[in-house]
Amino acid sequence: MLKVKDLSKKYEKVLAVNKVSFEIDSGEIGVLIGPNGAGKSTTIKSIAGLLRFEGEITIDGKPNKSIEAKRIFGYVPESPSLYDSLSVWDHLEFVARAYKLQDWTDTAEELLARFDMDDKKKKIGKDLSKGMQQKVSICCALLIKPRMVMFDEPMIGLDPKAIKELKEMLLELKASGCAILISTHILDSIADIWDKALIMNKGEIVFNNTRDVMALSGESLEHIFFSKTEEEVAAQ
Amino acid sequence: MSPMLFIMRKTLKNLIKGVFKKPILFIGYLFIALFVVTMLIASFAMPSGLIRSGSSDLYIGIITIVFLFMYYTTLKLGVDKGSTYFRAADVNLAFTAPIKPNHILLYGFIKQLGGTVLFLFFALCQIPNLKNNFEMEPYGTWMILLATIMYTLSYPLISMVLYSWATKKDGRKKLLKRSFDVLALAIAVLVLLSLARTRNITETLGDVFNNQIAKYFPVIGWTSSIAIASVKGFTTEFWVGLIGMLSLILGAAVTLYNMNLDYYEDVLESTEYFEAARKAKKEGRNMTFGVKVKDRVKQKLSGTGASTIFYKQLLELRKTAYVLFFDRSSVTVIIAAIMFRLVIPDNAQVPSLLMILFFALYMLLLLQVQCRIGMELEKHYIFLIPASSYEKLFFATLGEHIKNLFDGIVLFVLSGILFKAPLVIVISCIITYTLFGAVYTYSDVLTRRLFGRIHSKAILFFVKVLINLLIIVPGGIAAGIVIFITQSEFFMICALAGWSFVLVVTLFMFTAGILNNLETVS
Repeated sequence: MLKVKDLSKKYEKVLAVNKVSFEIDSGEIGVLIGPNGAGKSTTIKSIAGLLRFEGEITIDGKPNKSIEAKRIFGYVPESPSLYDSLSVWDHLEFVARAYKLQDWTDTAEELLARFDMDDKKKKIGKDLSKGMQQKVSICCALLIKPRMVMFDEPMIGLDPKAIKELKEMLLELKASGCAILISTHILDSIADIWDKALIMNKGEIVFNNTRDVMALSGESLEHIFFSKTEEEVAAQ
Repeated sequence: MSPMLFIMRKTLKNLIKGVFKKPILFIGYLFIALFVVTMLIASFAMPSGLIRSGSSDLYIGIITIVFLFMYYTTLKLGVDKGSTYFRAADVNLAFTAPIKPNHILLYGFIKQLGGTVLFLFFALCQIPNLKNNFEMEPYGTWMILLATIMYTLSYPLISMVLYSWATKKDGRKKLLKRSFDVLALAIAVLVLLSLARTRNITETLGDVFNNQIAKYFPVIGWTSSIAIASVKGFTTEFWVGLIGMLSLILGAAVTLYNMNLDYYEDVLESTEYFEAARKAKKEGRNMTFGVKVKDRVKQKLSGTGASTIFYKQLLELRKTAYVLFFDRSSVTVIIAAIMFRLVIPDNAQVPSLLMILFFALYMLLLLQVQCRIGMELEKHYIFLIPASSYEKLFFATLGEHIKNLFDGIVLFVLSGILFKAPLVIVISCIITYTLFGAVYTYSDVLTRRLFGRIHSKAILFFVKVLINLLIIVPGGIAAGIVIFITQSEFFMICALAGWSFVLVVTLFMFTAGILNNLETVS
């Protein structure tokens, strides 16, 4: 579903991402992990279509910046920025209009209810706490019923119930055939749900393997993470 | 375009609804509206040349320098960080949605039209002053507003085009920034050379800016020529300027709209930068935002208890200042005061240093509306320090007083030498300036205590200015009476200083309670 091929991104003289390639299939949960400055954010922003880059990124075979690809792509950014003067419901209506969704209100109601936000529909963006903004941001991304969804540090700011709910949603999305990519620092938060691990260090993918393959070697994700990024972590 | 129109419609609707729901906000907006209407009436109805009929050279010079400065600063920042019409919410929700980028750009452009309102407001505030000093055409006000609109619409477009070009190849950014610096330096050298020859600021301004090259110089010359029509009428320069600017804006907008756009990256950095600037403004760090912080200064953190806050502020001041405490605000106050002195009539009845003092106090009021104490109140440390509220407030504001004393010494010693003022006047001006700084500081604290974090920072700004003006009035009346009776400039300044001292002590006693707990400020 998501194909990243030879992705490179240079900021002036700094090569932030160097020839990164990976794939996330339908019904697969991939995790993108790495120390600070590894190039995760640049990779995420490139996939979201926010940066110019060298290489190729496709979603369901279409270039990631095309309207067709965007129509099936959901994105939850690291910082949940909402429109100050728009209510929670307005945000969902905006997404429904932007993605030309039909009969979206029931889904919207259901999403808000699952995150205990159904009584806050009329609250405006700037009156919401960070955690609530994050919940709205997730609802916006999931309202479109994406076939590929990308989360950047999705658990930060969420309360335990919301984290549990989100994990359940991720598994439901996976079961429905959605491809999921999660970027995070908190390995424990995704320990029991990931299918493929991608470890980045110094702008490159230094590890790319599935849970099944790793199970054969008996190594934990945490152990591999430190062994692959040891030099970087020690330097910090 | 429909989803973007939805955002605009809903934002406007919710803003209006929000204003009606909160009475304080409603009164605040009403006050601003009244102020704008008064300014509008004053700008259009008042006769021009009331105080004097200033030379058109001086007018052309002032207008061109203002636009030069605005284009120089905004375009340089634009080349460095890009320019943006967008907020972080647009990046997260609209940029990633299946909406054509040119539709989003058009939305941004319409939003920018709304942004021109603020610039028009500032321009409007200057018009009565200009009308007092220059003979303006009946349609003069319109011309100044038109030039302001042209500036506000053009600079983001130019910035966006330049940034896109600059980021495509290494070294282009540097080349553009250097080019701007060279142009600015060349103009400064021209002004200085001419000033050395003529020894007259009006003649110099005419010499440098009232010529064919300056009037027809793309963008800056064009914009200035539109504003200059307010005194010169509809000359060829005006029409060239207007057609030039319209073509530039339309051409750039249409080109960008029709291009296969990939501008998201170009606006990403600037959006993040402006979001950070907005946050800094909210936290009262707008004067220090974007200022380079020195790694090392020859000063260590010392003090114990409440005085630690003072030493921390001192260290922060030293790290962000150019030399000692000489920083951006010092430069602003000094340049503005001296420029003001240059444009006031030579035959004015009020002594020069007093004029500078008044203007410096006015500038300080605007600059010090958000004080360093605001930054302290945003963090929890000051509330936790085991010391009395009075002690903490004293030390949390002491840095501000020292900074004002430093600025006052630089400004009035310099002005005293320039205008050959008596030493006693210089000293009394320095003391008054520092005391007024303290009044503004403690009235800032008072406003926070009375109104908490008001919904809108713009409203809070007006409330603070209004409170300051109200409490200063008795001192102004007393000073007027003193000069009427004694005819002494010194005694008049003493009256002002005396009243401000009373205010400082009273405000200090009333406001110290703000540090009792966090709830008193939020």
